[in-house]
Amino acid sequence: MSHAARSTRIGEPVRRREDHRLITGAGRFSDDVTLPGQAYAVMLRSPHAHARIRAIDSRNALALPGVIAVLTGADLRSDGLKPIPYNPFTLHPADIRMSNSDGSPPFVAPCYSMAVDRARYVGEIVAVVIAQTTPIAKDAAEAVDVDYEVLPAVTRTVAAAQPDAPRLWDDASSNVCLDADVGAKDATAAAFARAAHVVKIETWIQRVTGVPMEPRAAVGEYDAATQRYTLHAGSGGAVRLKTDLAKILGVPAKNVRVLMDDVGGNFGTRGMIYPEFALVPWAARRAGRPVKWTCERHESFLSDFQGRDLAVTAELALDAQGTFLALRGSNIGNSGGHPGSFTPLQKGVEIMSSLYRMPAAHFRARSVVSNTAPTRPYRSSGRPEVMYVMERLIDLAASEFGFDRVELRRRNLLKQGELPYTNPFGMIYDSGDYHDAMEKALKLGDWAGFPARRTEARRRGRRRGIGIANYVDTATGAPRERAEITVHPDGRVDLVIGTISNGQGHETSFAQLVNEWLGVPIDNVRLITGDTDIVKVGGGTHSGRSMRMGSVVIWNSAREIIAKGTRIAARLLESDPSTLRFENGRFRVEGADRSASLFEVAAAAAQLGDLPEDLRGPLAAFSDETFNIASFPYGCHVCEVEIDPELGTLEIARYSAVDDVGRAVNPMIIHGQVHGGIAQGVGQALMEQCYYDPGTGQLLTASFMDYSMPRADNFPFFSTEITEVPCTTHPLGMRPAGEGGTTPALGVFINAVVDALADYGVRHVEMPATPERIWRAIRDARAAPPAGRAR
Amino acid sequence: MATVSLTVNGQRVSAEVEGRTLLVQLLREHLRLTGTHVGCDTSQCGCCTVHLDGKGVKSCTVLAASCEGATVTTIEGLAPEGKLHPMQEAFREHHALQCGFCTPGMIMSAVDMVRRKGNDLDEHTVREQLEGNLCRCTGYHNIVKAIQAGAAAMKRKA
Repeated sequence: MSHAARSTRIGEPVRRREDHRLITGAGRFSDDVTLPGQAYAVMLRSPHAHARIRAIDSRNALALPGVIAVLTGADLRSDGLKPIPYNPFTLHPADIRMSNSDGSPPFVAPCYSMAVDRARYVGEIVAVVIAQTTPIAKDAAEAVDVDYEVLPAVTRTVAAAQPDAPRLWDDASSNVCLDADVGAKDATAAAFARAAHVVKIETWIQRVTGVPMEPRAAVGEYDAATQRYTLHAGSGGAVRLKTDLAKILGVPAKNVRVLMDDVGGNFGTRGMIYPEFALVPWAARRAGRPVKWTCERHESFLSDFQGRDLAVTAELALDAQGTFLALRGSNIGNSGGHPGSFTPLQKGVEIMSSLYRMPAAHFRARSVVSNTAPTRPYRSSGRPEVMYVMERLIDLAASEFGFDRVELRRRNLLKQGELPYTNPFGMIYDSGDYHDAMEKALKLGDWAGFPARRTEARRRGRRRGIGIANYVDTATGAPRERAEITVHPDGRVDLVIGTISNGQGHETSFAQLVNEWLGVPIDNVRLITGDTDIVKVGGGTHSGRSMRMGSVVIWNSAREIIAKGTRIAARLLESDPSTLRFENGRFRVEGADRSASLFEVAAAAAQLGDLPEDLRGPLAAFSDETFNIASFPYGCHVCEVEIDPELGTLEIARYSAVDDVGRAVNPMIIHGQVHGGIAQGVGQALMEQCYYDPGTGQLLTASFMDYSMPRADNFPFFSTEITEVPCTTHPLGMRPAGEGGTTPALGVFINAVVDALADYGVRHVEMPATPERIWRAIRDARAAPPAGRAR
Repeated sequence: MATVSLTVNGQRVSAEVEGRTLLVQLLREHLRLTGTHVGCDTSQCGCCTVHLDGKGVKSCTVLAASCEGATVTTIEGLAPEGKLHPMQEAFREHHALQCGFCTPGMIMSAVDMVRRKGNDLDEHTVREQLEGNLCRCTGYHNIVKAIQAGAAAMKRKA
C-alpha cells in the first residue's frame, strides 16, 4: 500500500474524501433516487436479432390492474421525438480523419430510442410499459403482443462485411458503413517488396462488455408548469447528456436538467446517452408523474453498449537485421445494430505502429453493422486491440525469424531524442522515455530470472511463459472543459467542473490541486459536477481527459483568483499589488508583517463598496479551454503465466507494469487505476466474451452465470510502478493514467501464454485464452507433423 | 401480503410484504436502507450481502417473508453511529474502492469471512473466499490487502 500522505498537495497518496459515504452505505446511486408518486417502467425488448415489427397489440397489457401506459415506436414518432444525436467520429481534432476511399459519405442511419419498424438486435427496445410497480409492469410486458416477421441475422464481424450478408439497412448498399484507407499505400508496398522478412497475423479481438457494477437506472420528471424535464441518471458526463436529451425531446437545452450523484463505474459503457434516458422523462410527461426505470443485469448484458470486436489482418515487414520497414493490413470494426460510433476503429488504426519506428504503413479500415448490441468506446477505446496486434507481430517475427524478442523491441523502439515523432498515420508523439519504461519493466518483472522459474515450474509439470508489451495510448476526447472556482468568506471553496467522477476520486485529486495552488484545506473544497443547472459546460470523463483537462482549467482559475485576490488584498493591506506574494493561502506584504488570508480577501470583495467593477462581488474565477492536442501516455508491461498442460488451466504468476503519467497528482489513485485497468485487459484476454450465437443472433452470455467475469482468484498482486517524465504538451506535465493499465494487457498476456506453449510448437492462441482453447492448442500442436511444428 | 417483523440494525421493524418480496427489496424499498445494492439478478455479484442472524447472506436470495423474527445487519449498521468498523477503515486506508458500488457487499462479506476463517487471512484464502463478490474497478488488488489488514485490526480491537 502507498505510504501515508505527508500533505494533501500534488504528488501525495491522499486517502479519498469520497470514501466515508461509500463505506458506510451513504452513497447515492441512481437507483437510490425515489420520488413521491413515481411510477415504474419496464422495457419490452426484442427477443429476435432481426425482425420487422408488423404490429403491437397492447390491449391485454393495458387491461391489467395497475398498468398506466404502454408506449411504442409509433407513439415515439407521433410525439415527435428525434433520433439520438450520436457523433460517429471522435470530437477531437488531433484524431485522424477517415472517409470512404471512394469518396462517398459514410453510412449513418437515424437511431431512435425505440425500434420503430424493425428490431436489429436482441434486446432492442420495442415498447415501454409503465405501471404502479415494477412487478406489475413486468407482468404487463409479457402480455404485450408483438407481431414480428423474423429476418435473417448476421452477428460476426467478417461475415457482416460480405456482400451477400443479411442486410440491416435497406437503404445501404451493404453492411459496411465506412471503408477508409489510411497511411501511404505505395510507400508501404515498396517497403514490403524489399523486405527480408514478412510476418502475418489474422485475429479477432472479440466482443466484450464493460460491466460497471452499478446497473443503469433513471428517474424522469416533467413539470408541466415550467415545461421542464429532469433526469436523474448516472453517466460519464452531465452536460453532454443534457444537450443530447434536449435534442431527442425536441426542446431547448434550458428545458432539461440532469442530476447525478455517485456513479457506479463507467469504463466507456456510460459514455454516451442511452435510449432509456430519453424514454423515461418522455414517459414521465405522458404519465403525468415521475417514472423510474432500473436495469436488471441481464438487460445490461443485452443493452449496455459493448466494446472491442475488431477483426484484423496485419503484416509486418522487417529487414535482415530486424529493423521494421512497414506495416499493412485491414481492420474491421463491428458497430452492432446501429452505425453510431466509428471512434474505436479510428482511435486504434491511427496508432497501429505503436511506439516503434515505422517508415511506412497502410491500412484499410472498415466499420460494419451487425445484429448485435451497439458498440462504443470501452476502456482505452481501440488501442488495446491494436497494441495486441503489434506486440503479437513482434513476438511472431522473433520466433519465426530467430530474433530475441526483447532485442527486436529495443532495436525498433523510438528513442527519446527522436521525439517529437510523427507516426506513419500522422499522429505526433510528443515526449517520453520509452526505453527507460521498457528497461524498468524488464527489471520489475525480473525478466533475467525467468529461465530459472521456467525450469522450476517444469519440474512440477507446469509450463511457464513470460511476455512483454510496450504501449502508447492516445488520449483525445471531447476537447472543451470548464472550471469555476468561488471562494466563500466562511472558508469554503466551491469548484464547479464539467467532468464527473465515476469512481476515479475527483473529490480528492481535484481538491489536492486546489490545496496546492490556493492553500485551502481539501476538506473545505466542495466539488460540484452532477447538476446541469450549475454545471453548464464540460465534456465528461473519458479518453483520459478529466485530470488532463481539469488540471489546466482549475490551474487557470486558481491563478485568476490569486490575481484578483492580490488587487483586493492590496486595498485591504494598504500596499502596492507588486509588493504582495501569495503563499499557503495568504497574501503577504513582502518585507512587512502584514498579511490577509484568501478568505479575508473574499470577505473584503463582498464588502468593500469602492472596488473596481471586476473585483466586486464573490471572489470567483473561471477558465473555459479547448484542448486541441492529443496526449500520449505510454509504458511497458511484463506478464508471467503458468499452465497445467493436462487441463489447459492457467494461473497468472506475476504481472508487472510501468506506466508513465508525466506528473502524478495522487499516486494511490493512479496505482488503483492501473490495477483495475490490468484486470479489465487481462479479463478480456483470459476469459471474457459476449458470445452471440451465429445462427440466431441470441446472446448466450447474458448473465453473470454465463459471462465470465474476472474474480479475485484470477489474479495475483500486481507490481505497478509509476514514472514521471513530464509531458511537453501539457502545461503541468501531466499524462492521463486511467487507461494505460488496460492498453498493453491483452498483448502482454497472450504473448506470455504463447511463450508458455512454445515448446509444443503453438504459434498463437486467440482470445479469450480459455482452458479449453489452450488444451486444444496443445493437443493440435502435439498432433501436427514435425514440419508443421516449425511455425 | 404478509406482515414480517424483524430487527434491522438494532431497530425493531415491521413491513407489509408480498410473498415474492426479497429481503433486499425490504431493506432498500421499504426501509430505505439504500447502502445494500443490487448488482445482478443471479446471486453472483455479492453487492447485496448483509448479515442475517450473524451470517453473511446475499439478500437478493432471501425472501423477506422468511425473515420473521430475524436479526439483520446492513452496512449502515455495521458500526455505531459516527464510528467506523475496522474493516470499513481498512477499505478506506488501502484504497479498496473506486466507484464504491460493490463496496458495502464486499465489506459485509469480508467481516463474515473473518467470522468463518479467522483473523489471520492469507492472500490465497481471501481470494478464494471472495468468489461470491464481484468488483470491476480495483482488480481486487487493494480489496485483498484491505481484507487482510481489516481482519488483523478486528483482532486487535476485539
